[in-house]
Amino acid sequence: MSVSSQTVGSVQPVGASSLNRLGKSAAKRLLLTGIYLVGVGLIWQLIYLLMVEVFQIWNVALFPSPLDVIAALADHLSDGTMGRAISTSLLRLFFGFGIALPLGVMLGLSLSRNHWVRLLLGPLVVGFQALPSICWLPLAILWFGLNERAIIFVVVMGSVFSITAATYDGTKLISPLLMRAATNMGVRGWKMFWRVVLPAALPAILSGTRQGWSFAWRSLLAGELLTAGHGLGNLLNQGRDLTDMALVMAVMVVIIMLGLAVDLLVLTNFELVVRRRYGLMNQL
Amino acid sequence: MSQAELDPSTLFTPPARGPRLRLQEVSKSFGSGAGAMSVLEKISLDIEPGEFVCLVGPSGCGKSTALNLIAGLEQPDSGAVLVNGTPVTEPGADRLFLFQETALFPWLDVISNIEFGLEAIGIAKNERRERALHYLQMVHLTKFANYRVHQLSGGMRQRVALARALAIDPQILLMDEPFTALDAQTRDMLHQELQQIWSATHKTIVFVTHSVHEAVTLGDRIIIFTYRPGRIKREISTAHLPRPRHIEDPQVIELAREVTETLRSEVRLAVNAEYGEDFQLGDGI
Repeated sequence: MSVSSQTVGSVQPVGASSLNRLGKSAAKRLLLTGIYLVGVGLIWQLIYLLMVEVFQIWNVALFPSPLDVIAALADHLSDGTMGRAISTSLLRLFFGFGIALPLGVMLGLSLSRNHWVRLLLGPLVVGFQALPSICWLPLAILWFGLNERAIIFVVVMGSVFSITAATYDGTKLISPLLMRAATNMGVRGWKMFWRVVLPAALPAILSGTRQGWSFAWRSLLAGELLTAGHGLGNLLNQGRDLTDMALVMAVMVVIIMLGLAVDLLVLTNFELVVRRRYGLMNQL
Repeated sequence: MSQAELDPSTLFTPPARGPRLRLQEVSKSFGSGAGAMSVLEKISLDIEPGEFVCLVGPSGCGKSTALNLIAGLEQPDSGAVLVNGTPVTEPGADRLFLFQETALFPWLDVISNIEFGLEAIGIAKNERRERALHYLQMVHLTKFANYRVHQLSGGMRQRVALARALAIDPQILLMDEPFTALDAQTRDMLHQELQQIWSATHKTIVFVTHSVHEAVTLGDRIIIFTYRPGRIKREISTAHLPRPRHIEDPQVIELAREVTETLRSEVRLAVNAEYGEDFQLGDGI
């Protein structure tokens, strides 16, 4: 084998095999996260044993053991309230995020494309990004009433501007050389936009999507805590009303787990595939 | 032209004949007012179809600006750039750029990068693949058709960029120090490859380089620029040297010495502008 084919021969075209490897690495990440969580649970149990059972300094009603939390989780899973809360919340989230994602990407791209949009909407985007999403709730309730639409509105407003900002920032970082080469080949207008700007900004758009996802999650829970319904936030409130600390913690664990699962299994993986394709990372 | 001067033989000459590329007293400056800097001053240059012309000069002499003007990415302050007798007003795929840093699209594989250019000039989808493969073969990269850009070495990237440009079949290739960032062996290989491709395709090439040896190896004609404002100091023909040439051929080195001699005073000006007047430049340059 010649020297040149040795140096490049070890590199394979990006294809099915690397996707497979990505799947394996996702499983590995999930396993590591699992081991870590078990460790945290063990420390928690130790603190519980010391403070509640041995020294009896803390009240069990305010500091349940991890086993109590698991029991509360099992209870509410078996009677269906937890399942219903999860599906209600996820449905709201998918609607809200499903609106925010295309809206934010479009807004970010039009900011980069059009001087007037930038002039008129640019400061607005920055301002709204600084506004905590829950501040939209009073307005949403007056506009839509105390219903699904109000909560979905809050989720949209909570995440759309971070997606917009990330998308716009991504387009600003596109190499001028690529644009110049495309101009040189006669690419103009919308073609430039679809075939160069959009793919070049994709890694940034995906980072924005991840960030937007976590903002949407937070906005949803904030909205649910302040309204009535059957979502996870409402179940959290129910735990507080009943001084059921195990339930409160169980819901919190579920919220963290769901957020992590979507981020790790969907968003991070997708981002890794794209970054790898673009050669933005050396190894996994 | 008056009636009396008309030569009957020119009556039947199609208008496209004549130089492929003509720079007519082209001037360009950047900035305005007191800060204005004249970069090119009244450059006039005719380049024939199929000619390989190298522009050399110290940093800041405006040779890259000349390429931008030819490409239509910038407009001259005065004078005109004519391609086949028609003034250049905007970028066009008949004059393609090759940069020092290759402008390949990282989200496309090698073959799709070449097809991108073909799509840009409106080649039908079913023709693109075959044409792209033909030019990929010309740069000896057929094996790497489905590789990503980041998986290729610098020299391979430059060859893909060359294949993408050739596939579009431009009349003029504008090369702005395309081999400067490569190691010496790769650069030597690409010199051979470019000479082969040039003699096979007869493209008109305008090649900007800092390397006098590279210019003598590749060009038919070398245009030496003065330091700011850039004017044409001297033209040296290398057409009499046999091809293919290698950068270490004795004749290349001998002629390069002559070019370097012509350039020396300009390089001194450039160095003094950058380092200050008190900096003493040895005779080695």
